[in-house]
Amino acid sequence: MTNEVLRVDFDLLDRQIVDLDGHPVGKVDDVEFGTTADGRPFVAAILVGHHALGERIGGRLGRWMAAVARRLHTTGDPQPLRIPFERVAEIGSAIRLDVRHELLNTPALELWLRDNVIGRIPGASDAGQ
Amino acid sequence: MKRFLAVTLGILTAIGGFVDIGDLVANSETGARFGMRLAWVVVVGVIGICLYAEMSGRVAAVSGRPVFDLVRERLGARVALANLAGSYLVTLLTLSAEIGGVALAIELATSVHYLLWVPIAAFVLWVVLWKVKFEPMERVFGLAGLALVVFVVALIALDPPWAQLGQQVTSPVPPATEDWGTYGFFAVALFAAAMTPYEVFFFSSGGVEEKWTSRDLAISRVNVFVGFPLGGVLSLAVMGCAAVVYEPLQAQVDTLGQTALPVAMALGKLGLVVVILGFFAATFGAALETGLSAGYTVAQYFGWQWGKLVRPRQAARFHTVVLISVLLGVALLLTTADPIAITEYSLVFSAVALPLTYLPILIVANDRDYLGDEVNSPLTNVLGVTYLVIILVAAIAAVPLMILTGMGS
Repeated sequence: MTNEVLRVDFDLLDRQIVDLDGHPVGKVDDVEFGTTADGRPFVAAILVGHHALGERIGGRLGRWMAAVARRLHTTGDPQPLRIPFERVAEIGSAIRLDVRHELLNTPALELWLRDNVIGRIPGASDAGQ
Repeated sequence: MKRFLAVTLGILTAIGGFVDIGDLVANSETGARFGMRLAWVVVVGVIGICLYAEMSGRVAAVSGRPVFDLVRERLGARVALANLAGSYLVTLLTLSAEIGGVALAIELATSVHYLLWVPIAAFVLWVVLWKVKFEPMERVFGLAGLALVVFVVALIALDPPWAQLGQQVTSPVPPATEDWGTYGFFAVALFAAAMTPYEVFFFSSGGVEEKWTSRDLAISRVNVFVGFPLGGVLSLAVMGCAAVVYEPLQAQVDTLGQTALPVAMALGKLGLVVVILGFFAATFGAALETGLSAGYTVAQYFGWQWGKLVRPRQAARFHTVVLISVLLGVALLLTTADPIAITEYSLVFSAVALPLTYLPILIVANDRDYLGDEVNSPLTNVLGVTYLVIILVAAIAAVPLMILTGMGS
């Protein structure tokens, strides 16, 4: 970061989040604010989820995206992945967390496709290339 | 020595990988109708793709972020979503055209109707995408694509009236048989063929997959600045062969067989074998690139795990998008839509989508947060902005010219 001030819209929103080893976790689809005891706002958590993104975009396009995300969700009531801001280790060209992605909830769509589509194709578990 | 070999191999791959179905179709059609009077567009296009491929490669190497990451970060989620829809559809159309090209190349070799080859070609394509490692995949088809050098040999063997061709190159106006509308339409198509958006999606994502760092910058630059212009020479040779054989007869090129015919005339059966191999390698290689690019754009917009470095089950969403894209490409071909027409449409819509891809690259290539001291030089920026203007003109003109000229007919 070259500038001292963190701008939520410019430095946080829509940036790629990666884990400790650089594995993609998702984008900063939305941000959760909290307030300190003396009433000052602070960034409490970053939120990841297509549903959250759709709601932030708003308008017809955003509503449509949120609806598709809800439809593709196995439980029908998608909650965004909430990453407390303390877990953010570094904000650069990507937002690096200080945990491994295995410790975070895997998105429902990824899990479903893994179990029902891609995981069933021979060779799906072959080592990466 | 090992480094020298790696550089040479990279350049050869870039040359062979430059030409795809769009270049083959656009260059031979243009050669037949305009001689070499549109050759300058290929030169302009090649300089443009060199400029922006280098920028995207530099951003990928220094920041580790591929192009579509930047599109969303710099244009915002909403505009980038519209961009994603446009880029994905254009890439899908190109993928379909490339699979059609593979099937047409096999038809040339076997005389079995191309529609029978479409499902087989697509299945083999998907297996390669699923199983084969990134680097050998790139190398094999890039190097086999070098077979298209046969167009250069054929052009020389045809012993064309060089002075006349040279005169056409230096007189960039439509011939008496054409008007400015068709001239403009084919200029846009040629430009789009050279600067197809998937090339930078693929190039920058490949850079991230191969874990480029600042130290790989030099190699990446050599590949771009030597490999792409030599690939452009192949494009010009395709145009030249069509210009020599078809322009005097005022014959139009509308099949892949006609694109190959000048080589067969000059070099006989052996030449034909080599040219068919070249068609196959070039279109199959480009089909792999577009198939992956379709997955890259979607996965990078949403921030999913993507690429071939992890086990497929760890990138389930990415592999699902790739699989669905191949199936959609096949479905389009199986409606019996003419692959050559699909190629022409893919070029027109590529032209429309060009600014969406190239503007964010130019912006980020100037951002010190991403690139530190490796930001654009003033000269690169002057060239970059100039090209953005050209790209914008091509994008605005593409659809009106298509309608006005009835696809240039």
